[in-house]
Amino acid sequence: MRLRGESLALLPALGFIVLFALLPALALFASSVAAEGGAPGILQVLRDPVNAQAVVNSFEQGGLSAVGAVAVGYPAGVLLGRYEFVGRRTLFGVLLVPFLLPALIVVAGVGALFGGGGLISQAAPITAVLGRGIPGIVTVNVVFNAPIVALLTATGVAGASPELEETVATLGGSPTQRFRDVWGPASSLGAIAGGLLTFLFSALAFAAPLLICGARCYTLEARVYTLDQTFVQPHAAGVLALVMVLLVLPPAAAYVLLAQRLRARTRSARDVRRRIPWRSPLAWPALAITLAFFGIIALVLGAVVVRSVQPGRGAPALGEGWATLFGPAVTSALGISAGGALANTLLFAALAAGIALVLGVVGGFAYGGARTTPRIVPFVLFLPLVISPVVLSFSLATFWRPLLGGASTVWALIVVSQATLALPFAFQVFGVALGRLSPQRRDAARLLGASPFAAYLDIEVPLARRGLVTAALFALAIALGEFTATYFLATARFTTLPVALYRLLALRATAPANALAGLLVVLTLVVFFVIARRGERVSL
Amino acid sequence: MSASDLLELESVTAAWEGTPVVREVTFSVGRGETLVLMGPNGGGKTTLLRVIAGLERPASGAIRLDGRSILDVPVHRRGIGMLFQEPALFPHRSVEENIAYGLEIARRPSAFVTSRVRELSQLLRLDALLGRRPDELSGGEQQRVALARTLAPGPALVLLDEPFASVDPELRHALAAEFRSVLRDLGTTAIFVTHDREEGLFLGDRVALLFAGRLVQLGSPTDVFNRPATAAVARFLGYNVLPGPSGAVAVLPSQILLGPPDPGALAATVIGSGVVGESTMTHLTTAAGERVAAIGASNEPARPAGQRVAIRWKRSVELPSGPDG
Repeated sequence: MRLRGESLALLPALGFIVLFALLPALALFASSVAAEGGAPGILQVLRDPVNAQAVVNSFEQGGLSAVGAVAVGYPAGVLLGRYEFVGRRTLFGVLLVPFLLPALIVVAGVGALFGGGGLISQAAPITAVLGRGIPGIVTVNVVFNAPIVALLTATGVAGASPELEETVATLGGSPTQRFRDVWGPASSLGAIAGGLLTFLFSALAFAAPLLICGARCYTLEARVYTLDQTFVQPHAAGVLALVMVLLVLPPAAAYVLLAQRLRARTRSARDVRRRIPWRSPLAWPALAITLAFFGIIALVLGAVVVRSVQPGRGAPALGEGWATLFGPAVTSALGISAGGALANTLLFAALAAGIALVLGVVGGFAYGGARTTPRIVPFVLFLPLVISPVVLSFSLATFWRPLLGGASTVWALIVVSQATLALPFAFQVFGVALGRLSPQRRDAARLLGASPFAAYLDIEVPLARRGLVTAALFALAIALGEFTATYFLATARFTTLPVALYRLLALRATAPANALAGLLVVLTLVVFFVIARRGERVSL
Repeated sequence: MSASDLLELESVTAAWEGTPVVREVTFSVGRGETLVLMGPNGGGKTTLLRVIAGLERPASGAIRLDGRSILDVPVHRRGIGMLFQEPALFPHRSVEENIAYGLEIARRPSAFVTSRVRELSQLLRLDALLGRRPDELSGGEQQRVALARTLAPGPALVLLDEPFASVDPELRHALAAEFRSVLRDLGTTAIFVTHDREEGLFLGDRVALLFAGRLVQLGSPTDVFNRPATAAVARFLGYNVLPGPSGAVAVLPSQILLGPPDPGALAATVIGSGVVGESTMTHLTTAAGERVAAIGASNEPARPAGQRVAIRWKRSVELPSGPDG
């Protein structure tokens, strides 16, 4: 049993979240509500038809995306988590790719497939509907989130007892009864957790509504941004941000609770390999959905890479997009060269991942394998995702910028916002790896004279090193691709690649935008391949 | 506590999730002595060991090592070594690095570390394995490394929690003999936990029996085996518990005589019978529902299930009367 004092190791991480997420957000909410006149002001903001529409949009897009992601991700998760077949491990690894990709890339990839002149929509015009409006947004959200549903479903499946299933079978239980009584509930737990997370990410989506549909499809997140940045109504934006956080709090809390149960159930899970039951009427449809799903992922990535080297509008020759990207026109349009944006991206992401990693390693001392961590901890660690990137950056800017002073500190706020958003994932990935370790080795080290922290550093951290590498790379990938918060905070001098990509897309500079999207895909794939080679299987 | 005692437990009670699993346990262990804690599974043996090691805190009671209370001494400063059912070796360290770990933590000079590792590896026949990783060793080799690692820092007391549980049955007795010999050679004070009565009686200078969290008997292996304190202890040690002329008696299976039904003897019905090695084992049940085991020579014919027989016995041990008697 862990001593309660070890929970103190969580203080740096919790303090970081309180200082850079909770406190600024609460300050923003309080000042905004006060400035808008309290409860009547909140009602007035909600009565604004555009704001009300944003609430509806958030729930509509979140709900539809969650249903779509579960419909696609559940069969894939069951196949990957329950059955052994050639290429299973590779497909498991590939699941991470969409999640690691910057959301803008998924938007660009779906556009390249189903948008005007898209690779698929040209061949089958009926599919063009998936490239625009609400269906387009939902498509992006499903591509981005279905892998999460699949991962969590596979994690849930692994938590079902194979011995119990075999017992039910020997007692005469049919495959349907085995599903109903043994592995169905476990896999459903994962799928529901994945659906909740999809709802959360989709209801708070920013890039997809902005680029695919425009103002009529804005989610609350996008509406808060435009209220503050375009219409210069920071108090109304702050009030709407409060409403948004309150609305997404219940599904977020439900996800954290389900994720905890999932983790507890799978702590001692072992991989059981079964053959796919080809005679089952469900096997072929499930396989077809899974293959289509992975096909779309490959096509999204392929389309972005192909477009980055293809001659096209504004780029008459092969590779012209790359030349333009690093040329003076782009530098002048962005206020910074593409090389400078690349340097910013790498530097900020490395610093943010470093912060998340240090806080994760220190906090892991209390987190790993412990059953006595205060119950509030997972909720606090998850807060940055509930507060959302726009509100996080909005409140960071209003709370910390006056305290820190000049524009030159913008980079610090960008790093802090990226670290805050990466922290929950770094903790989750490393925490799962630590939780799988047998407490006996730690006890053995302590009985041999190692202090609790020495036993943690000497024994547990090296044993969980693959989880640590994965957590670091995960944090790096999230920071590399972070767009929303960085876009809110960045001035031209501190532009990062995703922000540059958005600005180029907004300027309709298609050729350099395509090249930049290709560059981001390559960066993400490098991180992915290192995780695949050095890391361990991720469970969110 | 006498001057020669190293460890003293006084009214120690420990609970797991609110339920007491160790109740008011009092005993002491002398220097250089090996005490065996025996009892059925779930009797509180492992919890008691973890409480002594400092991995769990008792709900009440006192624990003294060398006359000083260790209740507030953290586990890493108690100077108590412990071996678990699983060897719990550090997989990212070689055998040599595993053995040296406790000495490195204590910042002992490297020359001392080297000589101590060499000494223990010779004693436990690990010389040829020092460069290997734990996953390259057999179960028995892993437990020998774990013992060497535990002994290296020179702990005042070593706790062994069923260390042979994960070892092949044919190796268990040889490994137990080796461990006993090493611990005695080094003069190490040890507490062994086991639920295997033969192993326990073989290993211990004294044997303590823990039933449902309570210490019900403590004595030398011979005393405990020849004079079980309760019916439950007698059954655990392999005795049959039968009604005697002045109370319950404990009878070893080898002392049971089976004959044709006789109104003057205890009646029983055969459940099953078969050859076990050099003997014939017969399982029976009396009219009162008491299970009885009888061992005869292997050339005795097996008895059919359902056969009614009379039970007599050659030698018995009278059990003290009491709630468990």
